[in-house]
Amino acid sequence: MMTNRFANTWAILRLDLRHDWLKITLWIGGLAGLMVIAAGKFGGIYSTQQALVSIAETLKTPAMVALFGPFTATPPYAVAVIYGAEMMVFMGLFAAMMNVYFAVHATRAEEDSGTAELILARAVGRQSQLAAAMLELVLINVAAGCLEALGLQAANMAGSNAAGDWLFGLGLAAFGLMFGAAALLAAQVMSSARGATTLSYGWLGVTFIARMATDVANPDWTWWTFFGWIEKMGLYTTNRWLPVGLMLGFSVVVLAIAVTVAATRDIGAGIVSPRPGRRTARAWLQGPLTLLVRLERTSTLIWWLGLFILGAAYGSIFGTVGDLVKSNPMLAKLLGNSGVTAANHAVILSLANTLTVIFAVVATIPAVTTLLRLNTEERQGRLELLHAAPVSRLRLFSATVIQALVSGTAALALGVLGMAVAGNAVMTSPISLARFMRGFVGYWPALLVVCGLAALLVGCWPRWQRLIWLVPVYGVLSKYLGPMLNFPDWAQRLTPYGWVNAVPQHAVAWPPVAGMVALGVAFLVIAGIGYRRRDLTMN
Amino acid sequence: MTEVLTVDHLQKRFGQFQALKDISLTIHAGEVFGFIGPNGAGKSTTIRTLLGILRPTAGHATIFGLDAWRDAVKIHRRLAYVPGDVNLWPNLTGGEVIDFLLRLNGQQHSARTDALIQQFELDPAKKARTYSKGNRQKVALIAAFSSDAELYIFDEPTSGLDPLMEEVFQQQVLALKQAGKSVLLSSHILSEVERMCDRIAIIRQGTIIEVGSLSEMRQLSRSTVHVTTQQPLAAIADWPTVHQFTASTPTQAVFAVDAEAMGQVMATLSQLGIVALTTTPPTLEDLFLRYYNSEAGHDDESLR
Repeated sequence: MMTNRFANTWAILRLDLRHDWLKITLWIGGLAGLMVIAAGKFGGIYSTQQALVSIAETLKTPAMVALFGPFTATPPYAVAVIYGAEMMVFMGLFAAMMNVYFAVHATRAEEDSGTAELILARAVGRQSQLAAAMLELVLINVAAGCLEALGLQAANMAGSNAAGDWLFGLGLAAFGLMFGAAALLAAQVMSSARGATTLSYGWLGVTFIARMATDVANPDWTWWTFFGWIEKMGLYTTNRWLPVGLMLGFSVVVLAIAVTVAATRDIGAGIVSPRPGRRTARAWLQGPLTLLVRLERTSTLIWWLGLFILGAAYGSIFGTVGDLVKSNPMLAKLLGNSGVTAANHAVILSLANTLTVIFAVVATIPAVTTLLRLNTEERQGRLELLHAAPVSRLRLFSATVIQALVSGTAALALGVLGMAVAGNAVMTSPISLARFMRGFVGYWPALLVVCGLAALLVGCWPRWQRLIWLVPVYGVLSKYLGPMLNFPDWAQRLTPYGWVNAVPQHAVAWPPVAGMVALGVAFLVIAGIGYRRRDLTMN
Repeated sequence: MTEVLTVDHLQKRFGQFQALKDISLTIHAGEVFGFIGPNGAGKSTTIRTLLGILRPTAGHATIFGLDAWRDAVKIHRRLAYVPGDVNLWPNLTGGEVIDFLLRLNGQQHSARTDALIQQFELDPAKKARTYSKGNRQKVALIAAFSSDAELYIFDEPTSGLDPLMEEVFQQQVLALKQAGKSVLLSSHILSEVERMCDRIAIIRQGTIIEVGSLSEMRQLSRSTVHVTTQQPLAAIADWPTVHQFTASTPTQAVFAVDAEAMGQVMATLSQLGIVALTTTPPTLEDLFLRYYNSEAGHDDESLR
């Protein structure tokens, strides 16, 4: 029985590792490097007790709790404590993303491409690929965790200790494995790699929003959000290992379910059997643009809904965030009622700025995915039939750009709208929708420039198109963590997200908006010319 | 006859690799043109260049008198194409893909489309991700056959079809031929090419090495002779135009003869008193193997 199911697992694991070693090295090196560099910077920034107290007060405000998780330490504060509080949620997100990628890549993606069939015809157990993927995830996470812990020990922040360093590293490993296990389950349930990735990110998003909402409302409930376990480790203070145990236990349960589900389904199929579809096409399916709309319909709607919910989730804490009097009763006496309202609004608008950057970065993902699709589809040979039809390359390219910009633009608008609607529902003195929408107007050109860059790679340097992901990743890093890490001005301005002025606090600065729109359009035009002139990528 | 497609000293280079060295061929209106050659010889590259998917490094390809690269869209309005490896959008049904491809060429789902769906026994309500290779090919074939085009290009269209479906395919191509359409058929199934094609081009390592009708090619090749005579025929074995002579008895032998020497051989044999005689013209397979192997450095003499 065991040999029938798991024969040759080790051989497959070796193949997977050989196949992925460069990606694994880059991911692990990137994550550990980020942690060590941040640890080094923290020592410099928070060198005085005064600076530590001031950042601790900031971290206790609901806005910061929503972004970074709760801050529960008591004075005197050490650098390591601040570091742990600021980095855990953020690093957890990256660790989860890495695991989703490798989990889907090693299972569902292999089935989609047909390699799984080739391997299963050999003396290989039916579930060996799943087992090898599990082992691969364990190895990746343990390696990442150890490297991170060793890096933290080397960085040797004030107030750090070996127990905390190893708890952070191995805690991240367990946390990553928990989401990797969920992605392995998603790969059994869904019938395509794309579906499995979407479901995994959906799960990550739901737990993240639940963690944020409970952190702001009542941190005890955060125990029930799965994501929240990473916050309960009390890094460099209480150093609790219980959450790590919970994460590992949950991973084992999910993996067991994945194995059970895998045993009941056919290779290449999900557990939901495909329904028959239409015998003929709808009348509106006429050209490349409508084809893209049809192909991306489901994922576009998921992104739009997701952005709206994310916006609404953040907006729903504006009532707590914008109530400074609650945390500081003296303020009412000092400022008077109108003064308090103005101060509350200032806090909310400043948070809205950070949130709008996040929405802009997230909205970039569906837009860029659509643009990259032009070459991905080409490599999979799907566009050969289209290229043999009377569809000019310019038309196909333009259709892709239009679909990308529409889905990205609407996603950004819906994020801001969700934030404004939910925020105004809970605030005592609302802020006009138009004010929040300044954020949309301000950040939309950044979205356009990133799309232009992506199109440029797609059109002119298709082999390098994946490099575009560095822009949103660095964008969120520099705007989310940058202020905490005292990034210099130029470092925050490396991506278009850093070229926007502080909206919605201030009015939209039109000259940079005009400049960025011109730049984005210029990139798109050059990309279109490049795409027309080159050979199409071949499978 | 008017020329539908002309390829003139076409070359294509991918970096260091010269995929097409010298491709020249012409297809006339109403002609079924066969395109054969071993794997990797450049058949698909040639076709993709004809479709404007690849840009020629040198030389020209014109279809309907228009430049294949510059006027791709104008040309594509008047042709239908079936790739060798049909890849479809996994979440569309076969029916949706067929209609979509027809509409791209300004055409509609017709009674003919329904008839073809029936003939090819395709279930158009299934999602493309569940189709086998053969079923995906059927989708592209149905879309192509139900389009009203002037030129049809098929790149190994039957590699995934069962023999019954292959028969349906051949009937459809012959129907196109009768309707006066032009067809470019690249195939590995030589019997298919032999049966349907008016003229054939053989490509090898990016170069067209032979173009002509099958009978013209046979003229250039050797026929196999099985003969029994009354008197011993060993003397023929030494003729320079006779090859692979094997005698089972002194009066019975099998050998190959160059086409131009056939008359002389027959005259000599009849003087020896023929008891039984069969001559077999070379099949396309023989021709193909001969060209293929001579490239691989084999001596012609080692072949039938």
